Amino acid sequence: MKKYIGKRILTSIFTLLAILLVLFILMQLMPGSPFNDEKLNEEQRMALYAKYGLDQPIVVQFFKYVGNMLRGDLGVSYNISKNTPISQLIQTRLPISIRIGGCAVGLGAVVGLILGLIAALKHDTIWDSLATVISVIGVSVPSYVFALALSYCFGFRLGWFPMLFSQQDIFGSSVLPSVSLSMFTMASIARFTRSEMLEVLGSDYMLLAESKGISGAALIFRHALRNALIPIITVLAPLIVDLMTGSLVVEKIFSIPGVGSLLVNAIQSNDYNVVIALSFIYSAMYIGIMLVVDILYGIIDPRIRLAKKGD
Amino acid sequence: MENTAAYVPTDADFKLKGNTGEIEIDENFASQSFWKDVFIRYVRRTGAVVGLILIVLIAVMAIVGPGMNEYTYSGQELSQKNFAPRIKALEKFGIFDGSETMNTTTGSKEINYYLEKGLTDLEYWFGSDNFGRDIWTRTWSGTRVSLIIAVAAAIIDMVIGMSYGLISGYFGGRVDMVMQRILEIANGIPRLVIVTLLLLVLQPGMLTIIFALMLTEWVGMSRIARAEMLKLKEQEFVLASRTLGAGSFFIIFKEVLPNIIGPIITQVMFSIPTAIFTEAFLSFVGLGIPVPQCSLGSLISDGFNSFTTHPYQIIPPIVVMALLMLSFNLVADGLREAIDPKLKEM
Amino acid sequence: MKKAKALLAVAMSVTLMGGLAGCGSSADTAATDSSSAAATDGSAAETTAAADSSAETTVTAGTSDLNVMIETPVESLDPQQATDGTSFEVIADYTDGLMQMDADGQVVNALAEDYDLSEDGLTYTFYIREDANWSNGTPVTAADFVFAWQRAVDPDVASEYSYMLSDIGQIKNAAEIIAGELDKSELGVTAVDDKTLQVELNVPVSYFLSLMYFPTYYPVNEEFFNSCGDTFATSPETVLSNGAFVLDSYEPAATAFHLTKNETYYNADSVSIPGISYQVIQDSQQALMSYQTGALDTTLVNGEQVDQVKDDPEFMAIGAGYLWYVSPNMDGVPELENLNIRMALTMAINRDSITEDVLKDGSASTYTAVPMDFATGPDGSDFSEDQTLFADVCAYDTDKALEYWNAGLEELGVSEITLDMVVDADDAPQKVAQVLKEQWETTLPGFTVNLTIEPKKQRVQDMQDGNFELGLTRWGPDYADPMTYLGMWITGNSNNYGLWSNEEYDAIIDECTTGDLCTDAQGRWERLYDAERIVMEEAVIFPLYTQCNAEMLSSKVTGIEFHQVALNRVYKNAVKAD
Repeated sequence: MKKYIGKRILTSIFTLLAILLVLFILMQLMPGSPFNDEKLNEEQRMALYAKYGLDQPIVVQFFKYVGNMLRGDLGVSYNISKNTPISQLIQTRLPISIRIGGCAVGLGAVVGLILGLIAALKHDTIWDSLATVISVIGVSVPSYVFALALSYCFGFRLGWFPMLFSQQDIFGSSVLPSVSLSMFTMASIARFTRSEMLEVLGSDYMLLAESKGISGAALIFRHALRNALIPIITVLAPLIVDLMTGSLVVEKIFSIPGVGSLLVNAIQSNDYNVVIALSFIYSAMYIGIMLVVDILYGIIDPRIRLAKKGD
Repeated sequence: MENTAAYVPTDADFKLKGNTGEIEIDENFASQSFWKDVFIRYVRRTGAVVGLILIVLIAVMAIVGPGMNEYTYSGQELSQKNFAPRIKALEKFGIFDGSETMNTTTGSKEINYYLEKGLTDLEYWFGSDNFGRDIWTRTWSGTRVSLIIAVAAAIIDMVIGMSYGLISGYFGGRVDMVMQRILEIANGIPRLVIVTLLLLVLQPGMLTIIFALMLTEWVGMSRIARAEMLKLKEQEFVLASRTLGAGSFFIIFKEVLPNIIGPIITQVMFSIPTAIFTEAFLSFVGLGIPVPQCSLGSLISDGFNSFTTHPYQIIPPIVVMALLMLSFNLVADGLREAIDPKLKEM
Repeated sequence: MKKAKALLAVAMSVTLMGGLAGCGSSADTAATDSSSAAATDGSAAETTAAADSSAETTVTAGTSDLNVMIETPVESLDPQQATDGTSFEVIADYTDGLMQMDADGQVVNALAEDYDLSEDGLTYTFYIREDANWSNGTPVTAADFVFAWQRAVDPDVASEYSYMLSDIGQIKNAAEIIAGELDKSELGVTAVDDKTLQVELNVPVSYFLSLMYFPTYYPVNEEFFNSCGDTFATSPETVLSNGAFVLDSYEPAATAFHLTKNETYYNADSVSIPGISYQVIQDSQQALMSYQTGALDTTLVNGEQVDQVKDDPEFMAIGAGYLWYVSPNMDGVPELENLNIRMALTMAINRDSITEDVLKDGSASTYTAVPMDFATGPDGSDFSEDQTLFADVCAYDTDKALEYWNAGLEELGVSEITLDMVVDADDAPQKVAQVLKEQWETTLPGFTVNLTIEPKKQRVQDMQDGNFELGLTRWGPDYADPMTYLGMWITGNSNNYGLWSNEEYDAIIDECTTGDLCTDAQGRWERLYDAERIVMEEAVIFPLYTQCNAEMLSSKVTGIEFHQVALNRVYKNAVKAD
């Protein structure tokens, strides 16, 4: 088991390095420069390139960056927030994105599970269709429309929640963004729970459990849901990363100082260091969570571990 | 003996318990009647049938809709901008009469531009946008663009993802290891970064968007294909084929592929709505289809700016989009259950 | 003179705040003591600013913060590194330069209590106020300016606005230092003593004083700067204030931050509002809804929302200074090298339709190469006041356009032309481009325009590389002189996208910047019109409109000063009633 975990961690590190290199190459492909404001002339631009070491060959830049990164230095921003160390930008913003994303995942997972359960237990009835329709609406309406509609109803008309994010009222001002973000998770989880539950409910061991006289809540929660949950977690894991790394749309509409809008701004203004740092964090979180899921699986289900060895 | 005598069987004892799947367990996947069975099971599901009908209806509207009135999708008439929907036949019921209530900061007021400007013969069925373009025509030509983009992207990513997954799964070992690492790298980079970069490097347009969507969607497809392959490759029919001297690619595409076409088609159906959605997101970021062309996504993002002023401008594209998403999901669900009644896949 | 100016300023601000004045008077009749008092204070504050900052008038302190919406976060608070309007605005809240603008846009003293100009027009001597102090108690000295200006031209700092000192300010040796040929200590600026600053110029620069309120010229305290290390201007602890407010909560790229009144400011008595609270809102509908709930005192509204607010007395259009124009590529695109085709294109544009039907934010149709309302001449009139000046070569006239078009097609020997136009992927440019396409294609038979939508960074690079046919672009004035526009089209300028070249034009511009006309204000003014006429007659650009921003401004607030150059909004004389 230890050997397996060690091997997985090692390949993950290798993958991350490869991703970093790919990101560097992608940045080279990006048209435009971070500095070509229309008022700059060629010499000034050259001076700026020299200042930030962008005039050096990409290999040199890459190794310098990796070296600096190991020392915790992610470079500085070129134009989103000039000369600000990116670690400082991320320190203040990532927790906000994680908090709102976390709320959204929690909310989406719970509501999604309930909807999925209802649909599965009342399979092929009006409840099933209703739960399906609700969950599909969650993925059919673009989140920005949803966000604005929520803001208009509950923020402006009713005045229940603040329309914009504020540090003074973090809880209240996180409600609307979290709800709008959770829609997609909710819908995905609901659909997945439904199909997993249907499968489990139709399986032999459920029949056995039922014939043994186990019934009602105990049957569903102790036997059915537990078995259905494992694959659900696989689906949830990448969704968590997506949400935690921030959503551009919701951050833009609710003025949340998170990392999602930062990434989009950085891409559009060619702020290479910010794009690389944020993408890298995303990749690291993604691969990290996948790693954890894999290892957990290995612990829970020895067949997977053994099968991997067999490969 | 005593026990048997004390027990009185009830009707319930003679009912089959929750094993609807088992009744059909005898089916032979290679037999001719498989698709027929699928069809029968599919038709039994009301939701799936409704979904299919809706898709066909929307597709038909996407083809004929833009030609149903005299307007074109790009023709501007600035003097007739922001007209509310008006359908003369419905006017007497008090709906679609071309009037709208605008909530201004100084109070709400009722406006009817058709009467104000004396254009009593004019009709914009879904209203007109801020350039005086007909929203009906734009909605349907936008639907057309969105459908083309989504279907094309889904089919291409099916071909690529499926081949990748099948090859990776079949050869296993080192090949699989390398191919899976590549996939992990591709998946580890945020999609937004790849897609926006692509759209920046290539000329903006429908083909670029299809290409960008394809690049981000093939991963899921290849996962499914690989999992199926791993399951099937140890089976006897593959072994038999190999013993008879069949080459690897013959086995992959001629022997295994036909056996996994079901889950693949289901996955395609699921990836179409994802593609429509991603395209909408790109429009919101300003990287969608170039103006004056439009897609459902760009129409929504245009209408978004008038959301509080002229809400009727955003409603048609949103309704069409939601219906499309709903139908594709219903169809996919139905197909999945019809193709694999045990609901095993995904 | 000063008095006249003050009167003019008051008159101006009254016109500017037309809607507000109405609101103020109705508040008076309602006889609520506080609001009528505040209204009086408002005009008092304006007068103060307009007259002279040394004439101190006390105002009653307001009780609530001014809540301001901005569209984009601050990019940098380092005065020598900042380049965008939002950053400038915030830096100016807590930093004063040598000079400032009054409500009328005229240059008045700020940190400098007086200045001398040598007879040859080459040496300025500024005398800094004795009571000007930084918020940590150290006095503002001439050395602070020397340090800051040397930073601005230091190649290691690589300030993007270094050309404000070299090309535009013409400070001695600035260009050589930027190019790395001289050490930064050679810059033509010296601290004669603690409070006396001497500046040497290469040539007389008529608008030099107006450059002093541009943030690149703001002072930085060297000792404080060094104590911050690399973190200068990234948090409230690492900025020093010498202005009306002190930054007290800020994070890089924050979406909300706050400033409080600086009690040690030399003119603190004339500052009424206790603080400014900034909120970044990118979505205009959220912004308007927040404004309606009273969370904001001022906000931008987009063109679509104007329908919703146009009857509201709190709605107004504020000039943003930018001239939007189409630049044809006249080097390598044979169709556009043809003057008749260019004339046809500029004549076929219905500018009024663009501004009134599409933008709706108050933007004004423009028929001159220099936009309106930013450059005031020696006689006090606006350089581009007369928009019909070039009506013979730039107007909306479809018949003439068609004539030119047919003549051009004949000369080229073709019957159809297809051209690409590069456009920013932002809302307004995309809208304008769609209308332009429609107007051109309906007026000029056989003409097809394809729009290429690109992110701004890429569009700018494409245009600078000459990789375009038509380009929709904009230019904002850097200083209050027509030269900020006319200087663009000289041969070899990097912003002369069309690569147009005209010897006579180059000669005129040369004459006006470094030649004989430098010191002859009236003569120079006349010659600039000659230069502009050449640009218009050759259709080097197709001017479209001068941008305005549609804003809502609460009737409780008076005294915000709006400018087109350098600082778009100045809050220190604002008054907010309770």
